[in-house]
Amino acid sequence: MVRVIGCGNPDAGDDAAGLIVAEEIRARAPSGVEVVRARDPLRVLDLLDDVERAIVVDAMRSAPGARAPGTLVRIEVGPDGSPAELRSSLSSHGLGLAGSIGLAAAVGDLPPIVFHGVEAGAVAAGSEMSVAVRAALPALIDAVLADVV
Amino acid sequence: MTHRSVDVPVVARVEGEGALHIRIDDDVITRLELQIYEPPRFFEAFLRGRHFSEVPDIVPRICGICPVAYQMSAIHGLERLFEVEVPAGTRELRRLLYLGEWIESHMLHVHLLALPDYLGYDDAIQLVRAGFKDAVERGLRLKRLGNDLMAAIGGREIHPVSPRVGGFSKAVAARTLRAFQPRLEDALVEILEVADLVAPLEMPAFPRPAEMVALTHPNEYAINEGSMASTEGRAWSVDAYEDVTHEIQVAHSNALHSVFTDTETPYFLGPLARVVLNEQRLTPVAREAAARGGLGLPTLDPFASMAARVVEVALALEDSLRLIAAYEPPDPPSAAVRPRAGRATWATEAPRGTLYHRYDVANDGTILEAKIVPPTSQNLRHMEKDLGEFLPGVLDRSDAELTRLAEMVIRNYDPCISCATHFLRLDVERV
Repeated sequence: MVRVIGCGNPDAGDDAAGLIVAEEIRARAPSGVEVVRARDPLRVLDLLDDVERAIVVDAMRSAPGARAPGTLVRIEVGPDGSPAELRSSLSSHGLGLAGSIGLAAAVGDLPPIVFHGVEAGAVAAGSEMSVAVRAALPALIDAVLADVV
Repeated sequence: MTHRSVDVPVVARVEGEGALHIRIDDDVITRLELQIYEPPRFFEAFLRGRHFSEVPDIVPRICGICPVAYQMSAIHGLERLFEVEVPAGTRELRRLLYLGEWIESHMLHVHLLALPDYLGYDDAIQLVRAGFKDAVERGLRLKRLGNDLMAAIGGREIHPVSPRVGGFSKAVAARTLRAFQPRLEDALVEILEVADLVAPLEMPAFPRPAEMVALTHPNEYAINEGSMASTEGRAWSVDAYEDVTHEIQVAHSNALHSVFTDTETPYFLGPLARVVLNEQRLTPVAREAAARGGLGLPTLDPFASMAARVVEVALALEDSLRLIAAYEPPDPPSAAVRPRAGRATWATEAPRGTLYHRYDVANDGTILEAKIVPPTSQNLRHMEKDLGEFLPGVLDRSDAELTRLAEMVIRNYDPCISCATHFLRLDVERV
């Protein structure tokens, strides 16, 4: 089974991107694909041990100025855990997506994981999604679908 | 005069972003400011004008770690205002749901946040590589059990969706809950092993005076209902929460600080306060976990908080088994609710301490005003107090060591800083 995991916060502007993409994939994915939405990236830890492949979708933040909001990124995670790009995280309890995947790799075998990210702009509590990220969503959905099938 | 500044821009492994500024002049701390909390003001505004029935779907969005706490404080308060008689079994099922959240949150804290501190590693991944793989796996297994319990009762969405004002939208089947019994039995053995792991850890000794506060209940370890008590003998009903305590503005933080109204002194909430104030209500395995975990009661030492979390998980597991053995689905799953105008107040015990809600409601059930006082915001002033009292004794240490110790003082509170955003930071440009 392939599992698509969309992470995010529905009330924090662009941080909702992973959740919105997951909903869209749920409507369009072929059978044999399970879609899960996770508020806390730590939940990813519990979602990796019984699948052939996992696809994780989340908003992300690069170093200041490194990427414009709306920029898409696709990263294949190696069997030993997170690649260098997924270095640190400001996520829930400081053990975000990178930490969760790294920890899952440290305690067991990882399935092949592909990470799809979109660079976030507006992230304040209660803010609207930025124009750039909203415009990038169709391409992000297509990119995730291409990996699903 | 020599001065030294220590800035800890992000407190590692504390939820969200945080900052601690310390200024030291001639070996004396002259400035200490902790900025680590984003209050749920957006949600208070967001709730205004909403129908009461929407509240259980809105408030869990405040926190990714403790959505049940927010639902329970809101739902109980509104039900009391509306004089709802919930179906038999609802009270027990809600307690079970809440226990799942305690198990998950506490096991996350102990294994992924606190243990690396005390064993001298940066994070749980290093802990695994250093030979603690079995301990971390056990911790993750226990955390997952709490999560699965919550999902079974609340639904598998991003936050629990079944709790309603009036009961549950759908009551979990008895066989679904009974299927948890073998896992809970195993976990009851494993939590004592966790206590054995925690007992010999070297802790800084810091038995400072503190006024601890928690809900208490005459018949049970208080979670969803009770009245407030403190270790200095104060006792008050939740209705009086905003009279007995109040929030004050401080210049360096966008969060408010909570103090007792009469003495202007801060107070200490959370698992340790609960264990101390409700020691008589501990279950047998919880008592055994306290003994094996080296938790001598009563204690005022905040570094005993990790052991207190282990004790509460033992209690939660034992209580879950009791509740599941007796479980019959509430039928019907929820009672009819007729709103009326008035003020709803309630407090429950979130994993991090007492969570107070107040709603002013119109006759048709519209929320006119919402006030949410989370435990982390109430603990903030006490965190600063602890830092101010603890750090002078260790100022001879390097900045790195000082930072580590400051983080451990803060970590005792398991502060939940920013439940509003979570982000993955990408540092290397490579597409």
